[in-house]
Amino acid sequence: MTPFELAQPASLAEAIALLDPNDTAIRPIAGGTALMLMMKMGLYEPQKLISLRGIEPRYSEVAATADGGLRIGAVTPLRQLEMLPVVAERAPVIAHTMRRLSNVRVRNVARLGGHLAHGDPHLDLPPVLIALGATLAIAGPNGERTIAVEDLFQGYLETALAPDELIVEVNVPAAAAHTAYLKHTTRSADDWPALGIAVALDMQGDSVSGARVAIGAATDTPRRLTSVEAALQGEALSDAAINRAGEAAAAEAEVHSDARGSAAYKRELIRVFTGRTIRQATGREA
Amino acid sequence: MSRHTINFTLNGRPVTADVGTHQNLTEVLQESFGLFGARESCGQGLCGCCTVLIDGAAVTSCLALAAFADGSDVQTVEGLADGEELSPEQEAFIEIGAFQCGYCTPGFVLMTRQLLDENPDPDDDEIKHYLSGNLCRCGAYPEIVQAVRLAGEKRRAR
Repeated sequence: MTPFELAQPASLAEAIALLDPNDTAIRPIAGGTALMLMMKMGLYEPQKLISLRGIEPRYSEVAATADGGLRIGAVTPLRQLEMLPVVAERAPVIAHTMRRLSNVRVRNVARLGGHLAHGDPHLDLPPVLIALGATLAIAGPNGERTIAVEDLFQGYLETALAPDELIVEVNVPAAAAHTAYLKHTTRSADDWPALGIAVALDMQGDSVSGARVAIGAATDTPRRLTSVEAALQGEALSDAAINRAGEAAAAEAEVHSDARGSAAYKRELIRVFTGRTIRQATGREA
Repeated sequence: MSRHTINFTLNGRPVTADVGTHQNLTEVLQESFGLFGARESCGQGLCGCCTVLIDGAAVTSCLALAAFADGSDVQTVEGLADGEELSPEQEAFIEIGAFQCGYCTPGFVLMTRQLLDENPDPDDDEIKHYLSGNLCRCGAYPEIVQAVRLAGEKRRAR
């Protein structure tokens, strides 16, 4: 790694002022896991890093909201999402996802905001948060704006954040009644996944009254699968309906061959895992 | 500005170091303090050989900027024993023989410390969950899980 300047501001406002909209050699750092990997590989050589570790404590806090959801500060370590009872209670799929997200050491350090702002499609929480309908509060020199998590991801490692903007909060609405996230790794259990699928379903009697389905890892960016959502809407979850949802997912997702599998194999994974995730969410036998 | 003076507690003693902002904590522990228990192996956070505890939580020190250690409490495997008396985790790994070459052992011992601090009586699933980010290429995993169970017993008996 090459030397750089390290600034350690004590407030969000100072941190934003230290960023430069025209200079990508200046970057924020919080946990630093992803950034350290890129710097060690020589893929990124910063002039200056702005640490977010010292900004106001509210950006590292998790709070229950009046609507039954969660407000999660962007500097919150992932380990908190695993351990805090309020997360397990209000969005159990988030706590459950932590069990297979990297390892305890990485979760002790990595922060939610960086996990999202990195823009890597192989990460686990983007599809989960998209399925939950979460939104992001983004702060910049001209104040705050809100976007849906699904609108953050613009391309491989590319996001809708300007260089002088920071994710400050993640707002998760009250979770759907039936949620699940499954991922599949094709080499070792701790490898980056070939596929991640998140499902959030509300049921009225036997039929689906609301569905959000999101995919990660197999596609360029984490994204919603709207044709699957449409296929599930109003359906009783028969084997035939679940199979149709899997077919729709495999048809909609644009996948490419890489070291984790051929495009044909990934389409088959998507078809099968869409069904498995729906069954897991609704307590059916896989 | 590309160098920082940091003050932190290292294995119970207050220390000071002059570090480059680009240096990771593994390098600084080795170069400034002669502590080689944490060693860089995979360099990516997967293997756990560089594990240290920062404020009681296990951290991948080869992915941690040393500058961020300022003001924190850092513990390495060298700080676990009390004089000649080994910690329960160290005793258990030796009694079970939970290693062959020993390269990964400091990381496993420190992960065991965080686990037992948080859950004094973990079952095997919980043990495997905490240790899933530590690799033993000699394949001593069955003995390692046994050693963690024994370390828990020893700690509960103390």
